[in-house]
Amino acid sequence: MIKVSNLSVRLSGKQVLHGVELEALAGKLTAIVGPNGSGKTTTLRAIAGEASYDGSVSINGYNIASLKPWELALKRAVLPQATVISFPFTVREIVRMGLAVGANTHPEEIDRIAQEALEAVDLAGFAGRFYQELSGGEQQRVQLARALCQIWEPVRNGEPAFLLLDEPVSSLDIRHQLTIMRLARNFCSRGGGVIAIMHDLNLTAMFADHMVMMKNGRVHAAGRPQEVMTDAVMENVFGCPMRVNATPTDAVPFVLPHTADA
Amino acid sequence: MRPSEMAAGNGDSRSRSIRMKESWRAGDRSQAARLLIGLLVILAVVTFVASIMTGAADASLGNLLRWLTGTETAEQALSLRDRIIILDIRLPRAVLGLLVGAALAVSGAVMQGLFRNPLADPGLVGVSSGASLGAVLIIVLGSNLFGPVFAVFGFYTLPIAAFFGGLGTTLLLYRIATRSGQTSVATMLLAGIALAALAGAITGVLIFVADDQQLRDLTFWGLGSLAGASWTKVLAAAPIIVLSLLVVPFLARGLNALTLGEAAAFHMGVPVQRLKNVAIVSVAAATGASVAVSGGIGFVGIVVPHVIRLVIGPDHRFLLPASALLGGTLLIFADMIARTIVPPAELPIGIITAFAGAPFFLWILLRGRSHMGL
Ligand SMILES: Nc1ncnc2c1ncn2[C@@H]1O[C@H](COP(=O)(O)OP(=O)(O)OP(=O)(O)O)[C@@H](O)[C@H]1O
Ligand SMILES: [Mg+2]
Repeated sequence: MIKVSNLSVRLSGKQVLHGVELEALAGKLTAIVGPNGSGKTTTLRAIAGEASYDGSVSINGYNIASLKPWELALKRAVLPQATVISFPFTVREIVRMGLAVGANTHPEEIDRIAQEALEAVDLAGFAGRFYQELSGGEQQRVQLARALCQIWEPVRNGEPAFLLLDEPVSSLDIRHQLTIMRLARNFCSRGGGVIAIMHDLNLTAMFADHMVMMKNGRVHAAGRPQEVMTDAVMENVFGCPMRVNATPTDAVPFVLPHTADA
Repeated sequence: MRPSEMAAGNGDSRSRSIRMKESWRAGDRSQAARLLIGLLVILAVVTFVASIMTGAADASLGNLLRWLTGTETAEQALSLRDRIIILDIRLPRAVLGLLVGAALAVSGAVMQGLFRNPLADPGLVGVSSGASLGAVLIIVLGSNLFGPVFAVFGFYTLPIAAFFGGLGTTLLLYRIATRSGQTSVATMLLAGIALAALAGAITGVLIFVADDQQLRDLTFWGLGSLAGASWTKVLAAAPIIVLSLLVVPFLARGLNALTLGEAAAFHMGVPVQRLKNVAIVSVAAATGASVAVSGGIGFVGIVVPHVIRLVIGPDHRFLLPASALLGGTLLIFADMIARTIVPPAELPIGIITAFAGAPFFLWILLRGRSHMGL
């Protein structure tokens, strides 16, 4: 479990997060949603251990501040919002980097995992391509494969690992949005945990077990998508009156931008 | 075959899986890298032997081999004069060339990895100038101000002073050019120019107050040369250079990860701050020691890693050793040219590396402008 309590972050003298509380369970897909600038990325960066913060963040009971980088790397992998690289690495080389720190050191094992990870993000034929020559969505999927390799086993020594994804599907076409969300769900069903920052509310409602709605650096609402996605919350958080509907068969909420008042 | 066709997914699944395997193999350059390193080892040995044999006095390969293989003692195989020339002049010179060339090339590669930019080079961004300043300071003010330092460190004083000069410049440069994990190329290059100018100005003042003997010592700095090579110099520089070259392989994985950015490297388990500290200290040490014994030899640090990257890609596990080998070989080779092209005089080796390196550098710029964010 990832537990965040009373998390506050100041960036360049500006208070960006105000006492954020958040719990992400293993086996569950936790989605963080909210308007631009509401503090989603900042929250994720604090959880990843890369930013300084007040409050506490723990993974599986370990305070992340007390873990070494290589210990953290076995417990969580991170997909940043975008990654620019500075030298012409091939896709294969990038993906294998995810395995450089991990528990797997046997070359053939590394090869097999890296290959499967590439297949999982639907980039099986891309190993020989240069990363810099890929489209934005393809690059994002390569990075996801790299992150997947790092914690290839969702549960290691009885301890769940966590995928921290910052907008994993924002730059993807609809087919690959579904591929990646299913992949995340699959990671959860095998015992791992996922925290994903999302902008697409309908995909979130479809795939998330737990939804954290942020506004102005605070958690505005949290719970199952059905509980969080209400007309009132939508209007309050996004400042945009919309009607939330539900699918007829299993009552998954959805919003159409068409319903927004001008 | 275009890889994009491979992913399209049309065609039966067998040919698709074959294509996948092909693409998987195409993405792997480690075999080529190992092969290249093997070839570079051979090239280094050949060049090394050739440089010992080349020069005004002739020492035939046969004589040399008979001595090296132990069939004859040095006394039988070579005349006394040849022995002095080979053992006390050419051999230390070749060894020094190998060490300095390796140090410069590896420093360049590490610095490029650290700054995440193929244009970073100790010579280009003022680190060598800082190191020179440290050394000039010792030469000019040495006997008066630093007498006790000399007494303690002996002939290591110069390399150590150059090391601190280089370290200071590198740290300053990193502070100036890097903001929240992102290095600005423009800032780095411009700050490097400014720092080099500043170090040059201070060096100028020191030269102004230097006496004749010191001036003669100093002239050699500006040009960059292996001409003064001796076993003493080898002994002064070797421990520092070898030590930093031994540390560098442990940076390889970290530098690879750093390619994706500091945050991503940290996510992958790399202790980024420690990596940066070690990298900066070893670059400063290797550059400082090289500058202390051979002055400012330019462009090795930028040309060599770039050539290697073109052939085997940027994986630092292979880039670093390959750069060391090619750097050492090239410097020995350049030195052979330097001392044979205008006999009996000698050209400073810095002139040769600049003649070869500067146009190459311009070519890199023109060719890779779009990749480098310039
Ligand atoms: N380096 C920084 N210095 C100062 N303020 C910052 C910095 N980075 C982000 N902020 C501010 O912090 C707030 C939260 O930013 P954050 O990146 O967490 O937003 P986000 O929810 O991820 O937004 P988006 O949906 O656009 O990705 C914003 O108001 C932003 O302007
Ligand atoms: Mg964000």
